[in-house]
Amino acid sequence: MESGTKRRQVTIVTGFLGSGKTTLLGKALSKPSMAHTAVLVNEFGEVGLDHHLLRRVDERTVLLGSGCVCCTTREDLVDALLQLLDLDQRDEIPRLDHVVVETTGLADPAPILYTIFTDPVLQHHFAVDLVITTVDAVNGDLHLDRNQESRKQVAAADKIVVTKTDLAEPRAIEVLLSRLGTVNPSAQVQQAAFGVVDVEDLFSPDHGGSRTAPEYTTLQTHDAHVVGDTHSVSVTFDGPVDWTAFGIWFSMLLHARGEDVLRVKGLLDVGGPGPVILNGVQHIMHPPQHLDAWPDEDRRSRTVFITRNIHPGKIPGSLEAFQRLLGARPVPLGTEQSVPLP
Amino acid sequence: MCVLCGQDFVAQAHWTDRHVEDRARAAAPGSDPVEYQGARRRDRGHRVALTNQILGHYGLRVEDWGGSKYVLRDRKGRAELVQHLGALWPVAAKLAGRTLDPLDPDLLEAISAARKG
Repeated sequence: MESGTKRRQVTIVTGFLGSGKTTLLGKALSKPSMAHTAVLVNEFGEVGLDHHLLRRVDERTVLLGSGCVCCTTREDLVDALLQLLDLDQRDEIPRLDHVVVETTGLADPAPILYTIFTDPVLQHHFAVDLVITTVDAVNGDLHLDRNQESRKQVAAADKIVVTKTDLAEPRAIEVLLSRLGTVNPSAQVQQAAFGVVDVEDLFSPDHGGSRTAPEYTTLQTHDAHVVGDTHSVSVTFDGPVDWTAFGIWFSMLLHARGEDVLRVKGLLDVGGPGPVILNGVQHIMHPPQHLDAWPDEDRRSRTVFITRNIHPGKIPGSLEAFQRLLGARPVPLGTEQSVPLP
Repeated sequence: MCVLCGQDFVAQAHWTDRHVEDRARAAAPGSDPVEYQGARRRDRGHRVALTNQILGHYGLRVEDWGGSKYVLRDRKGRAELVQHLGALWPVAAKLAGRTLDPLDPDLLEAISAARKG
């Protein structure tokens, strides 16, 4: 950590109603590696969770003056996390390394990120390492079609667990996987038949949020894809990008269209020894990390923008117009290119 | 906040300023503060110059204000202090009377014309 003190990692587990969040948590909490983990859930539900640091929180959101839904403070989380911090610092609980926050099925995960990044105390003691989204293989396709919340949850994910694959037709699973890749090409996807999932791998620190060399999954990226009103577009640049100019362009975009920029993720070559890790959900940006070295031999920028109600050509078009400020020309990634993403 | 100068003492670092903070933290104890301040000033100057290329399209201009804030002005002489880029755009929209949008075709045309010219 930059401050020299280790921040406790927060993992957000989200997913639509009945998509298997609690089953996943039940499996995860039985592992010895989760011994120093606290869990915040919204409801205890029918599947009993047994864990010594289980807390129930009632979602209490405080809408800020701007009226933006993603920039709301979850007061219940602030209280619960401060209480855990207090117990940990007084040594009244075993050492606390990790907190898992389970959202309700209809929740937008963005306010949780906003709360932790902006609370004056929490931001120094907690960091969000990853967002895990569960998608039900039987009903996931329907949820993606009908529910904006479901698409937002998938867009916000660093890792996606497709649950109930034992109950779905192989063809339906294939279609769902393809659609998930379209909405969020940067997320790692695991399949969980009979609720079996590689917990250690799933809860391992996010590659985009670590200073250590990220691992990459090789994904077929596409220049632009559409699911409903949600588009994703992958862009690289023909040279190093001026970080100050990119900050101006992107902060302006978030101001104007933040609620429609569901996600940005990627590595940006800013001419330094390593890239900058970009990771944002709607208006909320993870603190960008300037890495000391590139994680692999490919030293190109690679960014994915997932948007809603914004024509997929508009993002590269705007970057093209801004190229004199940015110092590099954007190049949409072609359909046949296989580009690793964080 | 100081009631005389409007200075926030506990300011929230915007994500676009994080590299400056990280650089300060990474500097070894006893390292030359003048060097850090110089780099920070250059960063801010560069940001002001680039931002003005966009703001000009909306009849606005930004200046560094004492190395701690930015002052945003319009052609009517109105001025507002802002802490960082995140705060600049809403205030600029208020002064300009419209949202500053990097996807706005008119803005993109003006920036492209400036590039070609």
